[in-house]
Amino acid sequence: MSFKIAVVGDQDTATGFGLAGATYAHIYATKEETLGKLGEFFASDEIGLVLITHRVAEELGHDFLWMMQTKRLLPIVLRIPDKTGYVPKVDELREIIKRTVGVEIMIKKMGE
Amino acid sequence: MAVALAVPPTRMELLKLRQRVSLAQRGHDLLKEKMDALVIEFFEVVRQIQEARAKALEQLMVSHRALSMCLAIMGTLETKQASKEAKRELQVEISTRHIMGIAVPAVEVEEVERNALMRGYGLHMTSSLLDKASREFERALKFLIGLAELEGSAFAIARELEKTKRRVNALEYILIPRLKEALKFIMMRLDEMERENFTRLKRIKAMLEERE
Amino acid sequence: MSADRLIKFELSKLNVHLPVRRLSLREALSSSKPQVVARDGSVHTFKREELELLAGLLPQADRDKLQLPILIALEPKLGRGTARISGEAEVKVVSQVLEKEPAARELLIYRPEVAILRRKLPTTTQYLFLW
Repeated sequence: MSFKIAVVGDQDTATGFGLAGATYAHIYATKEETLGKLGEFFASDEIGLVLITHRVAEELGHDFLWMMQTKRLLPIVLRIPDKTGYVPKVDELREIIKRTVGVEIMIKKMGE
Repeated sequence: MAVALAVPPTRMELLKLRQRVSLAQRGHDLLKEKMDALVIEFFEVVRQIQEARAKALEQLMVSHRALSMCLAIMGTLETKQASKEAKRELQVEISTRHIMGIAVPAVEVEEVERNALMRGYGLHMTSSLLDKASREFERALKFLIGLAELEGSAFAIARELEKTKRRVNALEYILIPRLKEALKFIMMRLDEMERENFTRLKRIKAMLEERE
Repeated sequence: MSADRLIKFELSKLNVHLPVRRLSLREALSSSKPQVVARDGSVHTFKREELELLAGLLPQADRDKLQLPILIALEPKLGRGTARISGEAEVKVVSQVLEKEPAARELLIYRPEVAILRRKLPTTTQYLFLW
């Protein structure tokens, strides 16, 4: 099934991906506005991918995280760096790796 | 005189219990193998993610540089306008793939011609700059999507790993010990009953011998 | 007992991702969309580059013998960390991929080798749980 792409972030990110072919874009101005727009994107049946910059995702804080927990399977939400290359310190993946390594260590401890 | 011994119902229980212990043990061992396999898959995906993240970031920087050229030479307004009127539309084809029975997302990018009536880029000279920026961002998108697929897989595998670990623990620390306790208890009881019977028979035998 | 039923259920799910029928390397190479259907209905596609790698490791005659996906058998009897590859052609190919001494009918490989095998042939190998 084919779906459209939406971008949420700063002006340059929106312009860049717009040139590439993203269908929808929202430039961050206020938290409420952006959360609202994001809600629209999540509810839409035609959007399959939402690109959002790490910076904006952080600005949106818990509300964004809650939306991520409760959203449907689609759209896929991808957090991307903006032109400053900013990447947040807290990395979900690293947390998961730590938990899994815990399992790994337990496996080794219990003896092969 | 023969004393018929009725088979105590608990002997059947003993047999059933032994089978249950065997089943639980088998389940435990196999789920542990599954855990091992999942761990192998997980770490492989993680390794690929490190590479993919670096590549995606680099490409994104290249893309933004190309965009800066457009902004510098054509000006902000023109560039934004071109972005809004871009003839191209990219869509994503989303399906599912399976790793070891776990569903993970598979995403592919495809180009779709927008409304052909819309203006393409403006002046000839600047369209090559726009083309370059557009192409670089499309490349970035492809890398980012590849990254998203990998991260999606990592999360899905981790989830399955947790689930499997919980089951292994439940078997190892709760069910199997309980079954083994029950087994021990029944065997002890059976032994006791056996001994009581034996003692009783000896007494009967002694009594019979006394009479004679 | 419902615990028993749960265990049996989990065991039945272990191999549900395996194909109903495997494809020989020859069949896979000649198809434009080399894929197999799993017991749970999902479709699994083989990557062409892996098929070509495998083809390069075997004489033409063996292409009918190699059944895909190659099964990495995990059996508690073998002990944790040990897996088994069966099948003449399969063993030939895996020994070469792992740069090991060629074995006869069966090959036992260990966890780090399983990891390497899965990395080199992600779509043409799959785990098989045996008991």
